[in-house]
Amino acid sequence: MSTDGPAAAPRTLAEDLRARGDDALSALLRARPDLLNPVPNDLSQLATRAGTRASVVRALERLDRFTLQSAEALAVAPDGAPYDALAALMGPEAAGALPGAVAVLRAQALLWGGDDRLRLVRTARDILAPAAGSPSPTGLGPTVAEATSGMSPTRLQQILAVLGLPPTHDPVSAVGSVTALFADRPRMAALLEGAPPEAGAVLRRLTWGPPYGEVADVSVPPPPVAWLLERGLLLPAGARNVVLPREVALHLRDGRAHRAPEPVAPDVAPAVHDPQVVDRTAAGQAFTAVRTVEELLKHWETGGPTVLRAGGLSVRDLKRVATSLDVPEPLAAFWLEVAYAAGLVAADGEVDEAYAPTPAADGWLSLPTEDRWAVLVTAWLAATRVPGVVGTRDVKGRAMAALGPDLDRSLAPEVRRRTLELLAALPEGASADQDALLARLRWERPLRGGAAMDPLRADLVRWTVTEAELLGITGRGALSAHGRALLRRSGDAAAVLLGPLLPEPLDHVLLQADLTAVAPGPLQPHLAETLHVLADVESKGGATVFRFTQGSVRRALDAGRTAADLHAFLAAHSRTPVPQPLSYLVDDVARRHGRLRVGAASAYVRCDDDALLSELLADRRAVGLGLRRLAPTVLAAQSDPATLLERLRALGHAPAAESAEGDVLITRADARRTPPRSAPVPVVDGPPIPDGTLLGAAVKAIRAGDRASTAVRREPADRPGGNGDGRLPRTAAAETLATMQAAVLTGESVWIGYVNAEGAASQRVIGPMRVEGGFVTAYDHTADEVRTFALHRITGVAELADDLA
Amino acid sequence: MSCLIVQSDKTLLLEVDHELADECRRAIAPFAELERAPEHIHTYRITPLGLWNARAAGHDAEQVVDSLVKFSRYPVPHALLVDVAETMARYGRLTLSKHPAHGLVLSTTDRPVLEEILRSKKVAPLVGARLDPDTVVVHPSERGQIKQVLLKLGWPAEDLAGYVDGEAHPIELAQNGWKLRPYQEQAVEGFWHGGSGVVVLPCGAGKTLVGAGAMAQAKATTLILVTNTVSARQWKHELVKRTSLTEDEIGEYSGTRKEIRPVTIATYQVLTTKRKGVYSHLELFDSRDWGLIVYDEVHLLPAPVFKFTADLQARRRLGLTATLVREDGRESDVFSLIGPKRFDAPWKEIEAQGYIAPADCVEVRVNLTDSERLAYATAEPEEKYRYCATTATKRKVTEALVAKHKGQQTLVIGQYIDQLDELGEHLGAPVIKGETTNAQREKLFDAFRQGEISVLVVSKVANFSIDLPEATVAIQVSGTFGSRQEEAQRLGRVLRPKADGHEARFYSVVARDTIDQDFAAHRQRFLAEQGYAYRIVDADEFL
Repeated sequence: MSTDGPAAAPRTLAEDLRARGDDALSALLRARPDLLNPVPNDLSQLATRAGTRASVVRALERLDRFTLQSAEALAVAPDGAPYDALAALMGPEAAGALPGAVAVLRAQALLWGGDDRLRLVRTARDILAPAAGSPSPTGLGPTVAEATSGMSPTRLQQILAVLGLPPTHDPVSAVGSVTALFADRPRMAALLEGAPPEAGAVLRRLTWGPPYGEVADVSVPPPPVAWLLERGLLLPAGARNVVLPREVALHLRDGRAHRAPEPVAPDVAPAVHDPQVVDRTAAGQAFTAVRTVEELLKHWETGGPTVLRAGGLSVRDLKRVATSLDVPEPLAAFWLEVAYAAGLVAADGEVDEAYAPTPAADGWLSLPTEDRWAVLVTAWLAATRVPGVVGTRDVKGRAMAALGPDLDRSLAPEVRRRTLELLAALPEGASADQDALLARLRWERPLRGGAAMDPLRADLVRWTVTEAELLGITGRGALSAHGRALLRRSGDAAAVLLGPLLPEPLDHVLLQADLTAVAPGPLQPHLAETLHVLADVESKGGATVFRFTQGSVRRALDAGRTAADLHAFLAAHSRTPVPQPLSYLVDDVARRHGRLRVGAASAYVRCDDDALLSELLADRRAVGLGLRRLAPTVLAAQSDPATLLERLRALGHAPAAESAEGDVLITRADARRTPPRSAPVPVVDGPPIPDGTLLGAAVKAIRAGDRASTAVRREPADRPGGNGDGRLPRTAAAETLATMQAAVLTGESVWIGYVNAEGAASQRVIGPMRVEGGFVTAYDHTADEVRTFALHRITGVAELADDLA
Repeated sequence: MSCLIVQSDKTLLLEVDHELADECRRAIAPFAELERAPEHIHTYRITPLGLWNARAAGHDAEQVVDSLVKFSRYPVPHALLVDVAETMARYGRLTLSKHPAHGLVLSTTDRPVLEEILRSKKVAPLVGARLDPDTVVVHPSERGQIKQVLLKLGWPAEDLAGYVDGEAHPIELAQNGWKLRPYQEQAVEGFWHGGSGVVVLPCGAGKTLVGAGAMAQAKATTLILVTNTVSARQWKHELVKRTSLTEDEIGEYSGTRKEIRPVTIATYQVLTTKRKGVYSHLELFDSRDWGLIVYDEVHLLPAPVFKFTADLQARRRLGLTATLVREDGRESDVFSLIGPKRFDAPWKEIEAQGYIAPADCVEVRVNLTDSERLAYATAEPEEKYRYCATTATKRKVTEALVAKHKGQQTLVIGQYIDQLDELGEHLGAPVIKGETTNAQREKLFDAFRQGEISVLVVSKVANFSIDLPEATVAIQVSGTFGSRQEEAQRLGRVLRPKADGHEARFYSVVARDTIDQDFAAHRQRFLAEQGYAYRIVDADEFL
């Protein structure tokens, strides 16, 4: 800090920085590590970078509420305001904390210059100062100068006139005199004295912000607003809005920038517990945490659930995990995420991607309990993934899956650590209320993440408190001794403290006659492993209750143990005599175990003469068949029946094949048949040969046509010589009708000429059946069907020769 | 190292050999149900019913939490403590009480709770007008119903409506030459203090005397409900012997006799008999102004009796049983209609005090012959149990066992009549079954008591409430599948203290590798959980 007097007053931030000591510079770089990336060439460059918007925003986000309030006050004060002006803006209650806040701003290079001329970095000023689009948190509006820019000189003149100020044509000096009037307390008080009460009410409403008020139309304002507008106490801002100028607001606020400066962080009131109880409770929970993750790994030992295509675990699989861990689903998601964060489970990357424990899990499992805990909590503390959001919906309405994408929240580690640090600041064994913690965090980082992040921060605090309890970092809400060590030093240091608090692994269980075994505490790993195979877990917690059943004992036998092993195991690890029903159970299951044997064989050989089978077994040429004697008269073979038959024949035997029912199969190979199939239809050249009916019909048709064309017609008397070949018969309509009617009566066929609808002429032989309505219904011999002919289209009619009628 | 381990599934494991075990047991017994009591570690379970029982008995959540925290070896999961406190806080938010003008009212200290339950469709028909925001009228006849429904909704009501005294009738205990045992006195006191409730005592521990004690406290007309006629006669016999009541003051209301006297003993069967679709003997409940109703063998209480009991909520009710385990899972109805558990004592504890005989329980595993195994394998599924439970091999083993204990009073108990008939024939022993007349039964029981007969073959009709003081050996050849309470009852047959201090023996003859064995395992697990370790012996040892 340069306080060498006005002569040495720095002219730029760079100069100010140059004047600072090395410690101050390293403090700056520690507080704003982004400035170091890349390392600046010189202080000018450092100063420039410290003034960039991104860096300033980042620095502002990390200010506590009071320091931020101080910066905001500076932003509304004229540039280069002295410390005293700032102190006045912040009010008397902030006086004690203000030097600290100024020092922080200075150390962070957000502020430079001596106390007589405090200069907020321009970028910070731009961000914090009120502008039309972004109202300042102070609730102050623009200055008179800003609000009148663009106002017509005439209007300014009017204001000057109403205020009784000397008229000037220069807008700048006009604004200057108005500003001076507003800043002058006695004159301003006098001015406001004369205000109508309604105008006073309008001012009061805008005093603490937001400074903008809405009117129907600025050009015709209601009387109180008009009074204020005339005097420049309100200034128009657009067509429908008025704004309270900053100077007026400050006067109304008695010169205070903030309604409620918060120089002191909200108190986190401690609720005190016995530190020993806290440590023990936390240790108990730490143990449970480690065991739960262990159990999870065990469940996935032989392959976990598949990965959803979008990543993560399906809801059903999460349910399954919850059931197997005996916890609610959100908790199951938490344990999964902890295991995932610690690198103990991961997707296997195969084609059908599934989750499985990682190789690191094996290493983890072999660590002592406290070190395992340290691995989990260290990973949790630094994780950006937030298990709490699992199950909620993202912006697209999709449910977030455990272990899935989009669970990262960059705010999480900071909030998590800070919450725990707050707890650490309390006396030993003291817990705090979540709301108090949240209020404190809000004070410490008011801007962090912006307003949108505030609900997330509230959630994160809540989750941190519950998760820390689940992991045994806290007990009864208070930070435990090992939790403190985790925060202040490291996971390893915490593990050292946690170790002695954990229950000692036991090497014995209590066996009872109701076929249960109770382990009154955690068991040594090898003992636990064997018991988990030999018995089913019935109840978990500080102790474990195992139950022996036929099934569980059989499982142990299947796993390759013998009854004698089990007896020895039980006797060695039971603190009490092994109950008789339990030994009996082991023996009873062992008695039956493996009595039925199952194996795979491709074929068998049986023979009533076991000597022949012995001979076959002894035959070196039969080695390749994989023969094994199952019973005196049965051999099992690893080669298929056909090969076996062939080879046996080659060896000079005369084997017969057997069907599945045991019947001898005849040597002839079993004839193979297709399912019912029809024979193929031959593809011949030309049409198929017609059958009798078709032929008959065809002949008849041909015949009819032929008759029509070749009929020997009786020539009408008046048409001599006409043989009609190729010509249509022609008769008069009346004659046609008469002939037709006669034909109907006699039932004779007649020969006609007929022109169809298309105008094509043809000759037909028809047997008329009916004549009515201008139509003849007749049997058409040519077409071999009954047809209707229009009389007017019949060109003529002729009787057929008698022999053909 | 303390003696209690609190598990996350709300079971409590108590190490019985620990020096603090007794103190701890006393601390947790009021709110936790003893679930299993094998030799080393007893399992208690914290259930909502248990916690409400504790509240009903005047314990609060703080006491419960304190006991858990004090005796627990490992830190108690915080969630469990919170849950205990929350569950207990649910009791007593609603109270049933008398209102001078409106009769019975349901009132609350927590308005939202009342709103919640009034919204339930099941509650709506049971209540009347809303008197004020916190009080609603309950139809007096629905006192039992509403208690049942509220319990199911998870808001058990505290019944402060009190009891009617009933018609007074002088009853005194005639303690000449005998006294109530300390635990019996505690049981009577526990019941009387609570007003209504259930006393759980092992078979042979003298439940009848607890009933008599309660009657002597009430000094009012009493209705006693028992399982069957034999049991009714024994109650009568016992009451005449142990109290100032005379034969004439005690009536029997059964299939054969319909006497209504100041003390009336009725059977469940007659009460649940329907004629033309209606229960024709219900007027018994209203025939006198009963001051006390005793339910013997509460765990067998038939469903219709629950329904009648719902209407009797203004009368003091005493339930007696050896086990609250109901195979039908209606324990909560017992809680809401008869009352919370007022007293219980583990079998082993009473045995240790010398009031019931120690027993040697033996399961005899019988190898079926090859032809029996084949027949078993091919039997119809529904016939399988019957087949394996009644094989001839079993008969031979039973005969061998009877021969082994020749001269001792022996009961052979079974399920299937033809098997029992055959056994009776081979053993030359009388058979008591459903068709045996009551007179004949009592004659045979008497002869057995006198030692005139030493072997008796009984079907399941004798499961309950017969009193055979000198039976030293019980041989169970078949049972009602895996019924646990049947096993308890049967064991009870031999648990009465023996004059000569002879150890009782309880044999189960079981066919190996059949479902008989599975059922036996189920039953024996119950015994083992009661602290009766059993041995498994191959039948060859006896043949």
